[in-house]
Amino acid sequence: MKVELYNYIKAAQKMNRRQVLKGSAALGAVAMMPKTALADGHANVRAEILKIPGVGAGSPTDSDWQKVGEMCLGATKGNVAEGEFEGVELTFMGLNNQNLHNFLFRGFLKPWEAYTGAKINWIDLAQADYNARLQQSIATGTVDFDIIEMGAPFEGDVLGKGLASEMPDWVKEQIDMDDYVDYLKEPVGTWDGKTYRVSIDGDCHSFAYRKDYFGADGIGGAEVPTTWQEINQVSKDLVGKEDPLTGLPAHGYLDPLKGWGGFGFYFLENRASAYAKHPNSPAWLFEPETMKPMVNNPAWVQAIQDVMDLIEAGAYPTDQINADPGTTAFQQFLAGTGSMLMWWGDVGSSARTSDTSVVGDVVGFGINPASDRVYNAQAGAWEETRNEAPNMAYIGWGVYVMATVEGDEKKKKAAWSAAAHLGGKDLSLWASAYPSGFQPYRNSHFQYDEWEEAGYDRAYVEDYLGSNADSYNHPNAAIEPRIPGIFQYYSVAEDELAKGYAGQYGSAQETADAIAAAWEKITDQIGRDSQIAVYKASLGM
Amino acid sequence: MNTEGDLLHTVTADNISDNRRRVGKVMVWGTALLCAALALWQMAYEMDRVARGFETWRPVLYAYMLWATALCAAQVIVNGEKGKRTLFVLPAALFVISLVVFPLLFALYISFTDWNLASPNGPQPNGTDNLVEMWNDGFYWNALKNMVYYVLAVSVEYVIAFGLALLLNAQIRARKFFRVVFLLPLMLSPVAVSWMIGKSMLEVRFGPISRMIRELGGEPSFFGTPETARFMIMAMDAWTFIPFMMIMLLAGLQALPREVIEASKVDGATGWQSFKEVIFPLMLPVSVTAIVIRIIFKLKLADVIINVTSGGPGGATDSVTSFIFREYRDRSNVGYGTLLAMVYLVLIVIFVTLLLKLVSRWMERPA
Repeated sequence: MKVELYNYIKAAQKMNRRQVLKGSAALGAVAMMPKTALADGHANVRAEILKIPGVGAGSPTDSDWQKVGEMCLGATKGNVAEGEFEGVELTFMGLNNQNLHNFLFRGFLKPWEAYTGAKINWIDLAQADYNARLQQSIATGTVDFDIIEMGAPFEGDVLGKGLASEMPDWVKEQIDMDDYVDYLKEPVGTWDGKTYRVSIDGDCHSFAYRKDYFGADGIGGAEVPTTWQEINQVSKDLVGKEDPLTGLPAHGYLDPLKGWGGFGFYFLENRASAYAKHPNSPAWLFEPETMKPMVNNPAWVQAIQDVMDLIEAGAYPTDQINADPGTTAFQQFLAGTGSMLMWWGDVGSSARTSDTSVVGDVVGFGINPASDRVYNAQAGAWEETRNEAPNMAYIGWGVYVMATVEGDEKKKKAAWSAAAHLGGKDLSLWASAYPSGFQPYRNSHFQYDEWEEAGYDRAYVEDYLGSNADSYNHPNAAIEPRIPGIFQYYSVAEDELAKGYAGQYGSAQETADAIAAAWEKITDQIGRDSQIAVYKASLGM
Repeated sequence: MNTEGDLLHTVTADNISDNRRRVGKVMVWGTALLCAALALWQMAYEMDRVARGFETWRPVLYAYMLWATALCAAQVIVNGEKGKRTLFVLPAALFVISLVVFPLLFALYISFTDWNLASPNGPQPNGTDNLVEMWNDGFYWNALKNMVYYVLAVSVEYVIAFGLALLLNAQIRARKFFRVVFLLPLMLSPVAVSWMIGKSMLEVRFGPISRMIRELGGEPSFFGTPETARFMIMAMDAWTFIPFMMIMLLAGLQALPREVIEASKVDGATGWQSFKEVIFPLMLPVSVTAIVIRIIFKLKLADVIINVTSGGPGGATDSVTSFIFREYRDRSNVGYGTLLAMVYLVLIVIFVTLLLKLVSRWMERPA
């Protein structure tokens, strides 16, 4: 669970002292139990780990992580004998964001190290250094780590180049991959039909709106818009009205118009996915056979045109041209400017817990808006049918074992055992319920009974996490291509979009054509044939 | 024993046998040959001309270090006492060559390749493709054009800095306090300035400056149009670096000969006249130095832009460095990015050389 979300839930529900004591008492009881009793059935372990340290009992610490790691060792013990990896040393590269990620992994893996006899060395990276460090390791052939925490968009760079080790079957069984939410199943995490990824996280963009703008007396209309057509209409109609909360000018949907190191492109994708992601094909950014960009087809042009229309109508706050996604979420939406936004999960949690947020009581959630019509790229024509396609922006973190372990069976088994421990079914439940930097990503994470029993407010958890679950399991989810250099494409698109939004191109079509031309150049530079092969593999074609 | 020539700084006259000389020369040439052979072999291996080679270039580096060591040792072996004198400088010179010349040559090579970090093939020489692409790259030329605006802004900064220096040089109350206060912006990192001012004070909705403008009945917008955005970037950069020019000019003012200024006053010159006819001409060398250094700083402008506007709106505030940053970091486009940087380096060298040539006649204090 993201830290903010944890704080939000704590703030959103009134945790009384009795509940906290109940949790602590249960924990005490667990501590006194003999170890064999702990391994007594899954349900028991799941219920018990959720009580460490107990909802509302402060943030978990290293000793809690170690306890959870210890209690979740059951699956490992089934496959590995005690002391089996004596003398094995592994290097793990991951993040140190917010003192989470690697910090948790250390705690989780400590009991694993004690049991198996292996030793793990750590490489901690800040988020900003991550991409450069990874790319340089790959480009210069200096992969100095055996296990890596990595986002799925980089799979093209790593799996596509054969740098990772294929997942053995016993790992698949140990981590129960069937339990993953739909979009994390194949082809995500696989390459050429082989499986590589132990998922530990899920990501998607969801829709956040201001409840006080909508309803019987709402200035935005009676109903919350559910399509991009409605959103644009509402945004235009709101021009000149007054925000009910702040008394400043009212605004509708907030598009970030400035780049964000490539990440800003996800936000045009939110609009475009509804138009461009036809259920008949997983491809919506490139044509799989030729790598010809689809970004200048009528669907994408419509998405760009939507933004240009709102610029033209003066529907955005002033200086929106200089607003990146961070600005739209944290300086605008949460601070009471604008009424609709697409973002990752943490905007919802920050709504209540952030000091600068004023919209905590009036924020509602939904999935990525739909479109009244969808472009069928194969037929080359619009179809007048409603289309929904949630944008799984970034696809979440996973643990991968590198090919450096190949040739040493003991080391390989050790590395996979460590990865499987981190991505274990029970351990991941704990990680999704407490601050860890990760979101729920298994169907079993959405068993709200478990959350309620652990002390969470059921209505809230169901409402908020429900919108995530709906996006994850959507049959027409828009998954980004896991090809090498995907962020290069996004970054150059941001530059061209900035020119288009500033009026330097004649039309949305011209802007889109410029992006397509730049993308073609990148494809040629990286190598068209290899990109086509990798793209098709990433789509599972 | 060599007793001919300049013996002024010679402590001992060495007796160096021909054999010893030969050993020294063999050492230098032998190791040089080894280094060159290894380098050629490794290059051939990398180009698939020979079947066997080293995994990395490290052995070549070791051979180079061996040659450098042999070269240093040979100075003493061949030249004796005189060689020891060379030895004081030679290691440092070799060090500089290793860390400046080699990387420069390597960068030059990279800039003529299509190296994209995501490419599975690594760097492949692509002739003049990068140059052609640069020629057709609107973003680069746009950034160069912006640099002209940014450099021109130095003239305004100079006027303001000169004014402040004159004020702080005058007999005013709390002069020392003001000197420190006016220097404060220079002590701040431009990154901090871009967040504190660009992203906080100037934040359209709750930034204090925006609020003030709204209170006064205006509608704040600092980065909405190309012109205002460029102006705001210039202003933030100027705010940081005007104190730098000011402090240089202030030092110049304080070093002016008092008697000349007093003499002009005795001759009945007004304040403006003594400034125009005496102070300003005397200050020309300092002024030119300050301006040239400031221009060199300005050519590197990137941090404020990257943080506040990312080059927007539509590239209006992009500097060459901020554009290369995006090309290099966000797009891993190492080959092309390096070429842009090399071209920019050449442009800067030409520009600064011309500039120095042009202003050289003002650099000397008038007699």
